[in-house]
Amino acid sequence: MIPADPEELNALAGEYVLGTLDARVAREVEAALSHDAALREAVLFWENRLHPLSRLSRPASPPPGVWDAIDARIRPPTGHARFLRWWDNPVPWRWASASLAAVAAALIVVVALPRHQANFAAVLSSPAQEHTTGFIASGSGDTWTLRAVAGVTPPPGRAFEAWLIAPHDPRPRPLGVVPHDGALHLAKLDASSGSTLAISIEPPGGSPTGLPTGPVVYAGAVTQM
Amino acid sequence: MCLAAAGWDRPEGRRESAGGDVAEDRFTGDTDNVAELSSAAVLLEATGRGSRIAFRRLYELESPRLYGIALRIVRRPEIAADVLQDAFVQVWQNAGRFVRAQGAAEAWLTGIVRFRALDAVRKVRREILSDDPALGDESTEPDVLEKIGADGDAAALRECMRALEEPQRHCVALAFVDGLSHSEIAARLEKPLGTVKSLVRRALMALRKCLGP
Repeated sequence: MIPADPEELNALAGEYVLGTLDARVAREVEAALSHDAALREAVLFWENRLHPLSRLSRPASPPPGVWDAIDARIRPPTGHARFLRWWDNPVPWRWASASLAAVAAALIVVVALPRHQANFAAVLSSPAQEHTTGFIASGSGDTWTLRAVAGVTPPPGRAFEAWLIAPHDPRPRPLGVVPHDGALHLAKLDASSGSTLAISIEPPGGSPTGLPTGPVVYAGAVTQM
Repeated sequence: MCLAAAGWDRPEGRRESAGGDVAEDRFTGDTDNVAELSSAAVLLEATGRGSRIAFRRLYELESPRLYGIALRIVRRPEIAADVLQDAFVQVWQNAGRFVRAQGAAEAWLTGIVRFRALDAVRKVRREILSDDPALGDESTEPDVLEKIGADGDAAALRECMRALEEPQRHCVALAFVDGLSHSEIAARLEKPLGTVKSLVRRALMALRKCLGP
């Protein structure tokens, strides 16, 4: 609840800018900013007036990879890799199906993988790089392994996160961040034929939102062997 | 020199157009007005019109300051680097909303970085460091007032901060600069939580009155 009293409003805005509000109240303020002009003005007042305090922090050179990572994220989307809500776009699912042909080629690899008798498999390929294969997934019952092809690694400071898109639910379900060794083992995964597995680029701990925030770099349809 | 002549201007909207790449970026950096290339406001406005070159220059100009702010709050270089990266992506997306009449570009940029950093640090501290009241190695310096500076807007803040009681001043600095929550400040100053909350509030009331209008 945003107070109408100017003094209360100013105190709330001041604490919002200081960063001392608890998360729930801070979210309320954030939501109200779009439509509450008085609140917006109060927040601007504090942001501008307290700004000289930021001089107490010593400037420091950011690590060299940061600009490249920013630059990669602001490039206009190319091919089918979309930054946001890519799953609303029918096109990826078309190329996901197109990569079915590659499944046959990868079968040799899949059956050669130890331990699993693969009942299901998927080849995750890159739409941007002429369908280069990035990951191979195989599963038997509930147990699945997603494995990066040799040489496939995320950009510096980022991680691969795996997603499952079920046939009748277009929202991707997070499966987890791919560990450094490139193999993600899943004890429980209900991925049947018609599902799609996808890999996006995310911050090291995975997407903070529960949905892909970075570009989808590999995807492929699950097929019964 | 007017902005269009400096090549900042682009006739069309930006990300809607298929291109938006460097080839379409009419700004070449070939301007005789060096001050424009060093003005965060000019660069931010050009970024808002889709100039990648201006955005790159803005990063070069502002990233050390903003990284320093993030690092002070999150304390860990790898997290600060992520904060900086996310913040600049947000700057690229929102630069068109920056309005010079509403305040300095530097303050606008600082706002984005601080909120990203606070968000990150709350998560980390909750998960790993919630029991560590002595987070961070340096207490806020005694020379807070010196470091605020005395130029332009800073002079007013400095005088108003000087007028605060010492514990109030300390609370404001720990919250703004170090990103500490009420309870973290309480632990640091070894004061009850309620006392800290009221110190912060009274400090804000006094600053509001002093900084006016």
